[in-house]
Amino acid sequence: MPRLLSTALSLRRDPRLLRIPPYVSAFCIAIGVVWLLLLPLDDYSRRTYVSENALLPGQVHTYFGGSEQHIFRAFRHEVDLLADKNNYEVNDKLESILTGFGVKVGRQNYTYHSAGQIYTGENVYGILQAPRGDATEAIVLVAAWKSIDEQLNRNGIALVLTLARYFKRWSLWSKDIILLLPPDSTTGTQAWVDAYHDAHDFKHIAPLPLKSGALQGAIAIDYPHEQRYHELHIIYDGTNGQLPNLDLINSIVNIAGGQMGIETTVQQMTGHTDSYQDRLQTMLRGMLYQGLGYPTGPHSSFIPYHVDAITLQPTGEGWHDEMAMGRVVEGSFRSLNNLLEHLHQSFFFYLLMQKNRFVSIGTYLPSAMLLAANFTIMAIFLWVKSGQPTAKDVGTGKQQSDGLERKGDAAPSSWSPLTVERNLLSPLTFVAICHSISAIPLFLFNHLGINTLPLAFLIFSVTSTVLPAIFSFAAASLQKPTPQYFQLTKSFSLLILGVSLATLSTLNFSLAFLVGLLASPLTFIRPTDSAATRWFFAALLILTSPPIVILSTAWTSGVTLTEVLKAASLGWNVWGMYTPIIIWCMWWPAWLIGMTNTLSPISNI
Amino acid sequence: MTLQSKVGVFAGAALLRLILFAAFPSLPDLLTGRVEISTPVTSFKRLQEGLFLYNHNVWPYDGGVFHQAPLLLPLFSLLPDVKTWPIFTAVLYILVDLLSAYALLIIADSGEAGQSKLYTSPRRAKRSSGLLVAAAFLFNPYTLATCIGRSTSVFTNCAILFAIAKALSGSPFNAMVAISFASYLSMYPILLLPPLVLLAYDRQSEKRRIGSVIQFSVKTVLIASACISVLLAMSFALTGNSWDFLARTYGIQLTLSDLTPNVGLWWYFFIEIFDSFRAFFLAVFWLHLVIYVGGLSIRLRTQPLAVLTILLGIFAVFKPYPSIADTSLFLAMLALYRHLYPIMRYTYVASATMLYATFLGPAFYHLWIYAGSGNANFFYAITLVWSLAQSLFVSDLTFAVLRDEWEVERPEMVGKEIRQI
Repeated sequence: MPRLLSTALSLRRDPRLLRIPPYVSAFCIAIGVVWLLLLPLDDYSRRTYVSENALLPGQVHTYFGGSEQHIFRAFRHEVDLLADKNNYEVNDKLESILTGFGVKVGRQNYTYHSAGQIYTGENVYGILQAPRGDATEAIVLVAAWKSIDEQLNRNGIALVLTLARYFKRWSLWSKDIILLLPPDSTTGTQAWVDAYHDAHDFKHIAPLPLKSGALQGAIAIDYPHEQRYHELHIIYDGTNGQLPNLDLINSIVNIAGGQMGIETTVQQMTGHTDSYQDRLQTMLRGMLYQGLGYPTGPHSSFIPYHVDAITLQPTGEGWHDEMAMGRVVEGSFRSLNNLLEHLHQSFFFYLLMQKNRFVSIGTYLPSAMLLAANFTIMAIFLWVKSGQPTAKDVGTGKQQSDGLERKGDAAPSSWSPLTVERNLLSPLTFVAICHSISAIPLFLFNHLGINTLPLAFLIFSVTSTVLPAIFSFAAASLQKPTPQYFQLTKSFSLLILGVSLATLSTLNFSLAFLVGLLASPLTFIRPTDSAATRWFFAALLILTSPPIVILSTAWTSGVTLTEVLKAASLGWNVWGMYTPIIIWCMWWPAWLIGMTNTLSPISNI
Repeated sequence: MTLQSKVGVFAGAALLRLILFAAFPSLPDLLTGRVEISTPVTSFKRLQEGLFLYNHNVWPYDGGVFHQAPLLLPLFSLLPDVKTWPIFTAVLYILVDLLSAYALLIIADSGEAGQSKLYTSPRRAKRSSGLLVAAAFLFNPYTLATCIGRSTSVFTNCAILFAIAKALSGSPFNAMVAISFASYLSMYPILLLPPLVLLAYDRQSEKRRIGSVIQFSVKTVLIASACISVLLAMSFALTGNSWDFLARTYGIQLTLSDLTPNVGLWWYFFIEIFDSFRAFFLAVFWLHLVIYVGGLSIRLRTQPLAVLTILLGIFAVFKPYPSIADTSLFLAMLALYRHLYPIMRYTYVASATMLYATFLGPAFYHLWIYAGSGNANFFYAITLVWSLAQSLFVSDLTFAVLRDEWEVERPEMVGKEIRQI
């Protein structure tokens, strides 16, 4: 063992060893990407299974149907009559309908301000008290007046009203059922859930007059679809990339597919053929939504409060009708009603690649961790390198020692444990400055009004491109930058980036992966004296800079810049979405430092 | 180092803290609630509970929430209510931090780290200025978080630093009084007494010199015990003439009956352990904590300040309720050993590990407590990493101190790599 150790220690001194880390970093990135591409294969993904025994999905006979269809049509007629009314008139009517069944009704006003716009409305909700429960637990049925695509959720509202009337007649509920009818799919549920957990902003959001017990699960119905449908689209992404327990999705897939014969799909992948391409596409779409952290439906607001929730959206043309949808909801509610404790058995971190195939965190996390590790490896390497005497310092001494080594003399005597003194102050100051000015874009883009946002963004993009040149000029005029200075700034910057990405990958894997991938050129850039290389690096960095990436993403997905900025601001102000922090306070400063280092003139390295 | 720059650093640190207190009114309460900052024996929130009971003439330890020294209660009841006038509490904590930094300034300027009475380091020329050490302490994010989080361990830290500073400036009596206060507040500083007595013995003023170590130790230990007895007697009178407060303050630390998570290694272990083994392992854990004192004091007899620094590092890892306040104290003392940095081997790895743990700790705690998608193992794993980083610092410092000594004994080995044979 001591012999082995000393061999390892003597290896440490080998100059060849210091050339390895950049290749290790590149290797980490490559493996990370390949790893992700392997996931859809059968050997790496698993079939889903229901692990909570209490759920018993599809084991009960569902009775919704028959004459309920007439009632459904009647309610749909009522909804049609209300189509042009304002929020309060709609809620008056809905309240009278719900009280008609003997359901207790509450209403809640809310106002949100974002990007100079006001989002205001009134939620109406009813609590159907459980005949066999003690109001300590509740499940929520949501139907927003306006669907995700801003259409009238005509069938959804009617279905919830019919189901409410139908559920009220059953004596088997052991959990309260809350019927929530917010005016829209975005802000209303958030205000309601915040107020339900007393975490709302007291100035702008009213408290709830009525409450029940701890929420165990929520199902939202998004059903503006007019024809008979072919399949159920399950939307499951929550705010900030949090996901509901996989058991909830499994149960619904099981109930819809096994009991009703309705196809289910995820991530808008209609006609999934279970091929590699389809699986990969599903997974990548899921990662994109998760990475954006933007809420995808009325269910999204529930998930941060550890309430498992999904939205059901009928799509396609087929032969299933509203009653089948009602039976799916009935079956799911019967399953949720069986729960003895909060859903906890199954996975919270997963990537779905088909309604019944997934990979769990243990399998996919290494890819994001490898990307984060590449930055840390490079940071450690640069630190070691910055402590080494430069070629000039040891030039003469080295030749002599080389001669000695060739004669087979004792190698350790030529080794010097002493490292060069590192000047830490100026690199640390520079890194700290870059990170502190990142508060400016964060503040600007979340507080400016909608009219000034696009202009501010363009000005910021130009400034962000010019700033590195100014910084490098200023640094060069203040003191002559040494190679050590560049190594240390890059080392600290990459260390921070690596640490933040590793942390982020445990919270929001997809965001960490995407940012890590886009920031990966930062590992390899360095100041050089070759003009061609420098301009190549500069061009590469500009292409992967945060503003350019945002602009090009908006352009390729056909959304205007204004909409992107408005949505980002809304996400920050309403849902507490932290994606802007990641982009402006973690990625952008790292990019700024990398770009400054690229542009800096360098004499010797 | 001019007076001006000193005033600048201190004023800057005070201003930064004031701005943090004033500009983010919800920050203090947020930090107070963090388990990394507030432990059951230092939490400001629990102190408020004790204070409320005390002000309403109820025995403060009723309710089983408050576990801190009784004399803190009259001190804090003198201040205006923290809800209406938070600024007074803030100013008190800022002053205590500044006092600690001042003590560090004295310690650094004494040059004890490089040159003690019995040992002179060949590297002592490259020492860090006192101002830099004080600034490193004042602007350390851990110190800032502790101050804003109003953990009562700042009082203990301040008393420990003053005990060391007074021992260095040749006033053993004041040093003993200070360490008695520290021990009274947190109990564990009593373990610092042996190296502190040695330090005070080495740095006695020539006028009142006591030649014999034994005579000097007996005298100082008597002073310390007298002082602690007075403090305990005052507490006895304060808590309605009963000794029950001992079980509720020091007893909690000895038996670890409050298992609130913290950054240390004890809580998870004692949650998992079967009750029949609990007493045995409590004894083992405490013995482990105590055992370093004698060994280090004897081995590093020539450098008592190094013993104190290493011990503070060990306590920050292995004591029953550690928090980042203890780490900030250890890091402040570590800054004194600037001359040993070149022979420390793992500073970057240890700092990077610490940085990782600092980021991942709150994230995993969030996953466990709020998101519900993680569990206690996540957080405990990170506290292990955190402890690993600190023990890397401790062992690296110990290595550097010993190597420095060794190079004095074996001058021919200077600059050569050592190998285990």
